[in-house]
Amino acid sequence: MIKKIITDAKKAIADAMDLKALDDSRVLYLGKKGALTDLLKGLGKLSKEERPVMGEAINEAKVQIQKLLESRKSELEEIALTKRLLDEKIDVTLPARNFEKGSLHPITQTLNHIQDIFTKAGFEIEIGPEIEDDFHNFSALNIPEHHPARAMHDTFYFDSNTVLRTHTSPVQIRTLERQQPPVRVIVPGKVYRNDSDVTHTPMFHQVEGLIVDKEASFSQLKGLLIDFLRAYFEKDDLKVRFRPSYFPFTEPSAEADIECVICGGEGCRVCKKSGWLEVLGCGVVHPNVLTAVNIDPNEFSGLAFGMGVERLAMLRYSVNDLRLFFENDVRFLNQF
Amino acid sequence: MNISTRWIREWANPDVSDSELSEKLTMAGLEVDRIAPVAPPFEGLVVGHVVSCDKHPNADKLSLCEIDIGDGSNLQIICGAPNVRKDLKVVVATVGSVLPSQLKIKRAKLRGVESNGMLCSESEIGLSESHEGIIELDMAATLGENIRSVLDLDDQIIELDITPNRGDCFSVLGVAREVCVNYNLSMPSTNYKAEQKGSRSFTSKVANPSECAKYLTRVIEGVDNSAETPKWMAQKLLRASQQLHSPIVDITNYVLLELGQPMHAFDLKTINGDIEVRSAHKNEKLELLNGQTVSLTEKTLVIADEKSAIAIAGVMGGMKTATLENSSEILFESAFFDPISIAGIARSYGLHTEASLRFERGVDFNITRQAIERATELVLEICGGTASQINECVDSKSLPVLEPIEISNDKISRVLGFDLEPSWIESKFKFLEFEFTTNSDNSWTIKPPSFRFDIRIPADIIEELARLYGYDKIPVQRLSINANISASSQATISSNDFSSSLVNRGYKEVITYSFISNEMHELVDPNSTKILLKNPISDDMAVMRSSLWSGLIQSAKSNIRRGHHNARFFELGQCFTGTLVEDQVQKIAGIICGNRHESQWAGSEREVDFFDAKADVQALLFHSKNVYTFEAAEHPALQMGQTAKIIKDNKIIGWLGALSPKIQKSLSMPNSFLFEVNQKDIEQGEISCYEPFSSFQASQRDIAIVVSKEITADQLINSIRSLKQDDLVDVNLFDVYEGEHIDEGSKSVALNLTYQSIEVTLTDEQLAEKVSKIVAHLESKFSAKLR
Repeated sequence: MIKKIITDAKKAIADAMDLKALDDSRVLYLGKKGALTDLLKGLGKLSKEERPVMGEAINEAKVQIQKLLESRKSELEEIALTKRLLDEKIDVTLPARNFEKGSLHPITQTLNHIQDIFTKAGFEIEIGPEIEDDFHNFSALNIPEHHPARAMHDTFYFDSNTVLRTHTSPVQIRTLERQQPPVRVIVPGKVYRNDSDVTHTPMFHQVEGLIVDKEASFSQLKGLLIDFLRAYFEKDDLKVRFRPSYFPFTEPSAEADIECVICGGEGCRVCKKSGWLEVLGCGVVHPNVLTAVNIDPNEFSGLAFGMGVERLAMLRYSVNDLRLFFENDVRFLNQF
Repeated sequence: MNISTRWIREWANPDVSDSELSEKLTMAGLEVDRIAPVAPPFEGLVVGHVVSCDKHPNADKLSLCEIDIGDGSNLQIICGAPNVRKDLKVVVATVGSVLPSQLKIKRAKLRGVESNGMLCSESEIGLSESHEGIIELDMAATLGENIRSVLDLDDQIIELDITPNRGDCFSVLGVAREVCVNYNLSMPSTNYKAEQKGSRSFTSKVANPSECAKYLTRVIEGVDNSAETPKWMAQKLLRASQQLHSPIVDITNYVLLELGQPMHAFDLKTINGDIEVRSAHKNEKLELLNGQTVSLTEKTLVIADEKSAIAIAGVMGGMKTATLENSSEILFESAFFDPISIAGIARSYGLHTEASLRFERGVDFNITRQAIERATELVLEICGGTASQINECVDSKSLPVLEPIEISNDKISRVLGFDLEPSWIESKFKFLEFEFTTNSDNSWTIKPPSFRFDIRIPADIIEELARLYGYDKIPVQRLSINANISASSQATISSNDFSSSLVNRGYKEVITYSFISNEMHELVDPNSTKILLKNPISDDMAVMRSSLWSGLIQSAKSNIRRGHHNARFFELGQCFTGTLVEDQVQKIAGIICGNRHESQWAGSEREVDFFDAKADVQALLFHSKNVYTFEAAEHPALQMGQTAKIIKDNKIIGWLGALSPKIQKSLSMPNSFLFEVNQKDIEQGEISCYEPFSSFQASQRDIAIVVSKEITADQLINSIRSLKQDDLVDVNLFDVYEGEHIDEGSKSVALNLTYQSIEVTLTDEQLAEKVSKIVAHLESKFSAKLR
């Protein structure tokens, strides 16, 4: 009798295809009116000896059926979950929602990179006005009227005394008017020259650097700029050479070349077959410049350098046309 | 300046290759931009003599030539050049030779007649583009000699980029001096002395000796200016990119290139009376050698005869007194003009001449006489004639003063950062032709040579020593750690912080020119002061921007034209309302147009609107945690009714709004939204200060009211806040509705009020009372009706 109940229950439980059917089976066998409950109710009619035997058998059957029910229940839950997961499956490769591709202009990224390197070396960042007076842009920088260097600058004028700054160097003067040495600053910013062709834009960016201190030597300037260029191009053994040059506001003056990063110094179109690329100008600040801002050139010396940001950006990002920087084509901007 | 290395080597000939020499010059500060051979490589070309030249039997334009190349047997060569003729000396490419074009010369048959080589033109051997016939060699050329040596083709031209301080290097003499200093060679002498047989004096006087301290002239009579400039001279001039003229002019150019002294030759017969060096009269007219007639200014120094100006001093001669082929009496001029008075003169007449280039930078005032002697020598040799004495006007007081310069070894070490040997220093002083005395305290007193206008102060001497030592050999040192720690406040928001917040919101940064067109200025910001450039590149770049919007609008527009319709651009940059420092302010601005998001599989598309832009500008403002308010306003670039000014402390610090339909139409722009704020007004916040928050539960209450459409959200919220109700911690407007069930001219507004006490949990009754007070206030103040 019990055996049959168990056999029937087993089958019913196994056949139950959902939780509802399983519960029906439970009611059928373990419920108040279920088969086992009926048997329990009939215990009273049995003899004293039969009663415990039968009772135990019924309980065992009950436990067994309960186990079957539970196991089937978890099976069904598992099936249901699997089904739900299948139903809820998504294509994870679909595009994200409202993702926005913003970007910083490559010139800004280059400026940030340059500024990061120098601020680590203890430089502060100064900025200055783009419309300058003659004093700050020229005469204080030892470029008197009719100096041949003025002709090289292709200056934009507002009136005879007011210009668009042709370099970031006037901020050297503004900084020294405001601050006593020791001074260690870099000056990022826009500069302007009246020149527009394949390799010149009328507006471009420079970073100027200035150190004024009691002990500041040409050797230190060389060390600083080699360290900077190697950090900028992330190349520890980048070859750097210094050549004598001329700037009215430094003496001695130098230009620094790096081995061509395009051809590795072999000679190519970019370096005009020389293997070298001119990347910055520098020098020991001319005593006339310090005197112009009432700093005693016998007590303090200055070191100054300046670099073209577009040039550095072009080399770093392999941009072959300067004008791209100011066309603001999203196909260009998206690449940075 | 272009110059041939052969010419330099005639003066200073170190035992190194041309490329080593050029590298050395570059590293010494005379930058060699380019070094190029005068002729491409080729071999097997020799001098030949045209023994006979007959017509080709089968072709009208071809000639059948017998050419002797000196090896005993004549070559039969067919030639198509029009100038081939008997008894010419020609360039013969023999069978087996290879031309620069890689053409290999073979035995060939031309119209049935054998040809054993080729007669060459300049273009065929890469000397020029000229196809005009074959080269006619000097009749003295030796038969069979290699053309490379006959035409001196194993020469190279170096292009020097000479810095403004090194005017002394604009000559072979100057470059040779540099070579000598760098290779420890001694310089040849420049003591020229021409034969002087004539005795014709010439009177000149100088009215402004401070501008012209030396004025030398010499008459040479009986010259033949129709003579031919000798090949050696022509070749050097051509290789220095100088055009050939008549021998007299070529000689002055030659001396200019050789010694750096600009000279002028007048046709003496065209000069009326004596010469005076004086300032030009106002509006005095002068026809220059280049055909241009200029109206002179009083600042201009001129050479004048008794009638009129005949040359601009140190710049260019006049047409009337120019030497011509038939000139037989010439007057040479060799002068020293003060660099300061010459500076800028040429440019003021739109001129740039070899003479002005040198005088502006400084010409050696001790070469004046040698130059005129040298030129005379050459004239007598080439054109013949009789030279008279040199007439001198010299005001020695007006010559540049070469003040002694004191420099100590210690100063040199301090500036360079390392020590140089005193003996080495002194040896370099000698090569530099510095006069010096050694002082007892390890210092020197130096007098620079007259050709070095750039050596005036100790720093100039230090540079000389450093460059001769070799910048590359200078040791490398680190900066000492003597830097200030940056004092910028934590509460200051950097440009990068602003940029990042926009980049994270999908904006791309653009950089546009700071100068814009007048049209854009008038459209975008007509009420601001227009700052005009005197010399703009073009009309499109003539006005300094007062707003970043014009650049942003144009960036959006050009990208739309290229098919990118959803624009989100921003820019940071200076804007200008004047030329003073305080009129130049840094602004941050943005533009959006097109759809809010790229089309997306799960979302619906919608166009951007005012509130998208407002969210972006709020992202900028939020950095500083200051209080900013948006108020309806009008702006010429923005659409009426969709424009807000951004206010902080009663001051307008920015604008936000829709691009005005008028500008949209005139620029063919779609609906766009713009914002712009002054960076200075939003970059300073305060350091955060913690305030304890309540641990009691917050309660939310919503109210919906109907008010007139004219009442703004800020009016309602500010009015509620003005009650300063206890425990009211937040007011949020979460719904606005107009339309069905709401009277015309009214709107329904739903507000969410958050109450929270720091001490207790508020009861329903307490909350109800607070809310009803607010409702009552809104009813009385705005005639609001509770919905």
